[in-house]
Amino acid sequence: MTALYIVLPLALLVAAIAVGAFIWTVRSGQLDDVDTPPRRILFDDDD
Amino acid sequence: MISQQAVAACAHCGLPIPRGRAGEYCCDGCEIVRAAIAEHGLEKFYALRDEAAPARTTSASYAELDDAAFHRVHVRTTGDGRAHAALYLEDLRCTACVWLVEATPRCLAGVEQVRVDLGRARADVSWDPRATSLSVIARHLDRIGHAVHPYRGLDREALRVREDRALLVKLGVAGAAVGNLMLLAIAMYAGVFGGMSSADTTFFRVASAVVAVPALGFAATPMFRTALGALRARRLHLDLPLSIGILAGLVWGTANVIRGVGEIYFDSLAMLVFLLLVARFIVLRHQRRASTAAELLLALTPSRARRIDPVTRQIVDVPIDAIAIGDRIEVRAGDTIPIDGVIARGMSAIDAGLLTGESRPVDVGPNDAVHAGTVNMAGPLEVIAVAVGEATRVGALVAQIDALSSRRSHLERLVDTIAGRFVSVVGAVALLTFVAWSFVSVALGAEHAMALLIVTCPCALALATPLAVTVALGRGARRGILIKGADALERLATPGTMFVDKTGTVTEGKLAVATWLGDIDAGGLAAAVEAGSAHPIARALAANAEPTAGATEICEELGRGITGLVAGHRVVVGAPRWVAGQLAPGKHSHDGWVAEVTRRGETPVAIAIDGTVTAVAGLTDPIRGGARDALEVLAKLGWKVELLSGDDPRVVASVGAALGLPTERCVGAASPEYKLAVVDAARAYGPVAMVGDGVNDAAAIAAATCGIAVSGAAEIAIEAADIYLRSPSIEAIATTARAAVATVTTIRRSLRISLAYNLTAGALAAAGIIHPLVAALLMPASSLTVLASSLRSRAFRDRSPS
Repeated sequence: MTALYIVLPLALLVAAIAVGAFIWTVRSGQLDDVDTPPRRILFDDDD
Repeated sequence: MISQQAVAACAHCGLPIPRGRAGEYCCDGCEIVRAAIAEHGLEKFYALRDEAAPARTTSASYAELDDAAFHRVHVRTTGDGRAHAALYLEDLRCTACVWLVEATPRCLAGVEQVRVDLGRARADVSWDPRATSLSVIARHLDRIGHAVHPYRGLDREALRVREDRALLVKLGVAGAAVGNLMLLAIAMYAGVFGGMSSADTTFFRVASAVVAVPALGFAATPMFRTALGALRARRLHLDLPLSIGILAGLVWGTANVIRGVGEIYFDSLAMLVFLLLVARFIVLRHQRRASTAAELLLALTPSRARRIDPVTRQIVDVPIDAIAIGDRIEVRAGDTIPIDGVIARGMSAIDAGLLTGESRPVDVGPNDAVHAGTVNMAGPLEVIAVAVGEATRVGALVAQIDALSSRRSHLERLVDTIAGRFVSVVGAVALLTFVAWSFVSVALGAEHAMALLIVTCPCALALATPLAVTVALGRGARRGILIKGADALERLATPGTMFVDKTGTVTEGKLAVATWLGDIDAGGLAAAVEAGSAHPIARALAANAEPTAGATEICEELGRGITGLVAGHRVVVGAPRWVAGQLAPGKHSHDGWVAEVTRRGETPVAIAIDGTVTAVAGLTDPIRGGARDALEVLAKLGWKVELLSGDDPRVVASVGAALGLPTERCVGAASPEYKLAVVDAARAYGPVAMVGDGVNDAAAIAAATCGIAVSGAAEIAIEAADIYLRSPSIEAIATTARAAVATVTTIRRSLRISLAYNLTAGALAAAGIIHPLVAALLMPASSLTVLASSLRSRAFRDRSPS
């Protein structure tokens, strides 16, 4: 079970990175408006 | 009454084209917008659209948006020379609107980008000031159907965004903590049954503490803060027992990890914090939907005025902020008056419906007072400013609404009271547990007392109200019933007196011919002359009969009447006194008919053919089909319904009689101030609901225990209201009242479930037979039961859709 002593902190580190990434998305305003972007995907880019 | 033969649909919005209107469009707005769309090749708009509504445009020049004073406040210039501004757009509804507005750079040279925020009705525009100007952009947006206002209140907006982001970050951290702590906990629970070396167990416990303490300590700060605030103010708040539970769990868990013995409850705590934050997030989202009063005042009164230079008498279009008391202003016919003032010159008719609710225009002349927000119907006026902005009558109403809205709130009285008792009971039981178990061992006493504090943390109690309310709000919204929050529902669930503003609530909100005295054939002639007019009375007469023939020589006098030549007959239609004045003296004008129609509470219109009055029509606003049934439902729920309207008392009395209401419960000619006084007085005797649609109702709506605004309502009334109904019917009010009762029933049931859980968990902990695994199962189980109970709510579940 000694592998745990390496893998577990590693897993928690990955989780921490994910949380960090989430905080970045929030702080950069990507989640301020969640109503409009889902509609924008309906627009074609070609026109 | 109206024969519908092959009604043509508007080429823009698809609604039927009113009879007598030539062309392919139902209104000028649609025609202008369609032309603008075609001009720029934006027809894809129609493919993207999922709800069609008639378009509205204004003829505003938006020159004030290019004013240097405006630029200083609202426009930001970046290093690359581009200018940026936030605009508030009206009628921003759907995907197609977003696309149309965001396509602006393709239509106008010099516009770099337009980004829409649908929820906030906001467009962020960036442009090259050398190539174009903001007024050009605003005129374009107006022409595609979105009237433009400067987006004020950006500071408040920034504050809100910061708050939202902070909560979202906490939610994310708590969510990540739950997931990871559960994985760790599952390993440990498996270890309990399968065996695990003590070194491994310690490692897992330390890892749990390392994740839980910082993550939960950070994520639960909103709870700690309110609990501390409540403690300082010596008030009861649900966050107090929650904070005690969370803190006890964190401190005791950490202590146990360090001691190396005793139970830890980190996984249950994380789940609890996460669920609480989810509930808080849902509630906040709903609150944000309501726009701010500042934006609404702008929508009501124009942001510009035509100032007359005192020396040169030249007229300059200036921002409203630049108007000082004593300035002379020109108000053209059809314009909304921007300030409170006194008429210096000119005669006209004013539609003061916004303030008084009176639907008929009032004649005004020199030295008469006029108010901001009312509409100048007939001729140009020169007005001396007496009050500007917030000092105006409408401004004062808005300020009053703000004050009244902040006066109330705090529905969670019931839950807070329970929480208060909860704290004392749990505290006492924990102490008792500690003392009792101390006879066995002090450590065991502390262990069990702590377990009790943790497992009885009233998470389900905190979820019960927001969940039930969110379910009701969501279902209501799908039916076009917007409810501002838990408070609104709770207040509507307790019956009392309900004041209903007649116009648009119990009636169709559209004039129709109800009585016809005299020659029936005159109807066709009257319909012929009125066919081209947009006046509500004209529309009613035009819809009443098939036009005899085309009319010529039409001459319309605003607010008085219309004359024309139809099939060789000279036809005069209008207010009886005006029609009489048009005729040769001595000809009888049928005063008897007029008196008869007036007695019935209807608006008389005289029709004269070739110099003689041959018919008098009585116009009225017909009662809605389902109004009587809805009133019965309300009466069954315990509401005492009264009419309180700014309309003519005779009109109100006749509507009341048609609905079967006793005369003393039908009050007409009520001024905004009087309505407010009546509502305030009625509050002394119990809950008061106020249903209305005008600015004139807004103060009364805000003062009532539960204010309800109905469709077509001035935005200020919507702001003041607790509930907004998109369909302006009393039926919808009855549905909402029933849903409110169902929601409160659900909340009560959820509270009972949650208390039952706490009783069980508390008893187990006091008896010392609780285990972290049991807590980990019981705590979410109670929350999930509350969730299921909320979803089973009967709110808005009745079969008949409104």
